[in-house]
Amino acid sequence: MSATLLAALWAHLAACVLLMGSCCFLLLAGCPRTPTAFRWDERIAAWCRLLVLAAIFSGVVWLLARTAVFENRPDAALEARAVWHVVLDTWPGLVWLARHGLLIVLGAFMAVGPDVTERRNWIAVRGEGLLLASLALALGSASSHAAALSPGTAQAVASDVAHLLGTGLWLGGLLPLALLLWLASRDAGADARPYAVLAARRFSRVALIAMLVLVASGVLNALAQVESVAALMGTTHGRLLLAKLVVLVPILALAVVNRTRILPAVAAPRMMRRLAAFVAVEAGLALFLLVLAAAMTLTTPARHAPPTWPLPFRLSPDVVLDVPAIRWRVLIGTQLVVGGFIALLVSMLIRRRAKVLAGAVALVVFGVGIGLPPIVVSAYPTSYRRPLLTYHAGSIASGAAVYREHCAGCHGSTGVGAPPLPDLRSAAIARRHAGELFWLVTHGVPRRGMPPFDGRLAETQRWDVINYIRALGAAESAKTFGGEVEPDRAWLVAPDFTVAVGPLAPTALRDYRGRRMVLLVLYTLPSSRARMSELARMYDVLWVTGVEVVAVPAHATRDAIGELGAAPPILFPVVTDGAADVVTTYRMLAPGPHAELLIDRQGYVRAIWSAGSDAIQAQVEKLNAEKSPPPFPDDHVH
Amino acid sequence: MMPVWQVALVLNLVFAVGLGLGYAGWGRRAAALDRDVDAARAQVERLERERVACAAGARAGEQQWEGRGVVRAVYPQLLVVTHEEIRGLLPARTTSFRFQATSPTVRTAVRVGEPIRFALRGTVLDDAAVVAVKKW
Repeated sequence: MSATLLAALWAHLAACVLLMGSCCFLLLAGCPRTPTAFRWDERIAAWCRLLVLAAIFSGVVWLLARTAVFENRPDAALEARAVWHVVLDTWPGLVWLARHGLLIVLGAFMAVGPDVTERRNWIAVRGEGLLLASLALALGSASSHAAALSPGTAQAVASDVAHLLGTGLWLGGLLPLALLLWLASRDAGADARPYAVLAARRFSRVALIAMLVLVASGVLNALAQVESVAALMGTTHGRLLLAKLVVLVPILALAVVNRTRILPAVAAPRMMRRLAAFVAVEAGLALFLLVLAAAMTLTTPARHAPPTWPLPFRLSPDVVLDVPAIRWRVLIGTQLVVGGFIALLVSMLIRRRAKVLAGAVALVVFGVGIGLPPIVVSAYPTSYRRPLLTYHAGSIASGAAVYREHCAGCHGSTGVGAPPLPDLRSAAIARRHAGELFWLVTHGVPRRGMPPFDGRLAETQRWDVINYIRALGAAESAKTFGGEVEPDRAWLVAPDFTVAVGPLAPTALRDYRGRRMVLLVLYTLPSSRARMSELARMYDVLWVTGVEVVAVPAHATRDAIGELGAAPPILFPVVTDGAADVVTTYRMLAPGPHAELLIDRQGYVRAIWSAGSDAIQAQVEKLNAEKSPPPFPDDHVH
Repeated sequence: MMPVWQVALVLNLVFAVGLGLGYAGWGRRAAALDRDVDAARAQVERLERERVACAAGARAGEQQWEGRGVVRAVYPQLLVVTHEEIRGLLPARTTSFRFQATSPTVRTAVRVGEPIRFALRGTVLDDAAVVAVKKW
């Protein structure tokens, strides 16, 4: 079914693109005045009628195949009710209806065979064709990957429309141009040569602009849909994009040769024939490019697919921070590369460029050779895999239990094992990608005696352990934390947790993001009773300054609220379910029977007190006065 | 017979006007239908609350709302509850409600920290009072 879908989509896309480009090229070439030009004009108009039919037919096949995919059974493609349901009740169906409505109107308009001997009529007919074909092509963006992007839908769709119309202008014009040049290059078509030369020059200018639009909109589309190098190299969608770029290289080379070498001399019949052949080859390659574009439309966008890193290494500039000895080497290497690029620019500006160019290339190669090897680190297929679980207290607490049972024997209960095992709390481990730790936990490190855990631990348990290792690193860093908020320095991400008050619908810490700060209070009765009463009295003031207090008892019971007593009344949320996970996780950051953590509106821990503090309001004021809050932290560890 | 360029012009005009009118008409109608449905739903819910209140012996015009929550404090005349959304009255939050003077036993039936189901009766939020409390 996917092959049918791909074939139908390619045929439809190609027909729409060629239709729009042909209509545009007819207008570009202008009203024909010689017999050969007239014949060519009529032939392209007939070709447009066929293209409309092909677009509608392939569109119908695409719809039927799509129905079978939606319904998940091949025979649904031939059931009128199922097809009708897809057309009327789904967004792609409605877009399909609108586009094919336009194509039918265009087909009817062309089939009438209007009289175009008068110039005004000729322009109106060709212009109408271009307008309807462009609308039908551009409307495709309304149900593309770009339309599914949120936020930024309008920008993504605009960029996708520009990409489609650019493709139509450039690729659609190639075949009519090749035909015109071929006709005019023959002796019988000599009368159309001036017309063909003019058309080729006009098209060349338009195609250059279309190509620039294509590149710019293509870059924007890639930034929106692919987002990272890992997604570009590690997903089917990304690899198809790379393949597109590879096919684009010979196309651009051909275009440059055509524009700079052949076009200036195109008036000669021999050059005209050559240009026709080159343009036809360019069109063939471009049609192959459309196969890749159609396949990209049918694959999951790279930003949603888990990337599988294809190389055994990756570049990690962070290594410089861990190994000071290589700093000089990397510095010299990068400076040589920069020098090489400057020399490359200079070589473009001077006349005798060969020697400078050779020197520039040598500098770049030499610089890369010196600077790159030290920052190359081992990578694995899962290096860029996004963790399955969020950085949540529940996951960290489960990870702690798994760690105690399976890992603590070698790595120590606090993450510090006997040498040569690395300190799991160190900055070097914190800089390794979570996906790499996942690979090492899953497959083990046989040469160091670490066994594989893929058979012993479920995938979620392995991600739990990684969340726990990240929390160990965070706990080590949090030792420097005091009771004073450091303005504009937010880095310690507060693990998310569930706020469950009795049987009420639970909320989460992340629900407060962007709305309120949270004073997380881990308390133990009876020693914390006095402080809890004080907080209850302060609650009104704290609430007004933008703080919600969330209290978590060290030993939670269903009657945790009642145990706190009725006077003074405690009106802030007291977690009664799942408190153990919160306590396990946050005790790593703030040990002791009573601790208070101030979490800002973005979700970062900004101050920690091991006992009650009178200075809470002063610290809250500091957070309220922050001008540029940091972005919200990612829900997953990196 | 009309020249082709005029046909093309009329065709485009018809497209533009049809698209504009269709969108405006359809959009307005869809929005109006949404409003009608919301109003009808609110009316049905209100009538249901009035029917429940009437069956429980309330005065004319009074409604009855049902809520679920956890008791946070009990004062002689007030009950403070962290509650879920009370449909037609309040979103989920912590609110203090009056006890109804005619139901003195309600106050003694609640304890701080207890999850409860409660009923409020009144015409608007300001005069709504707790008339019944049950364990959740």
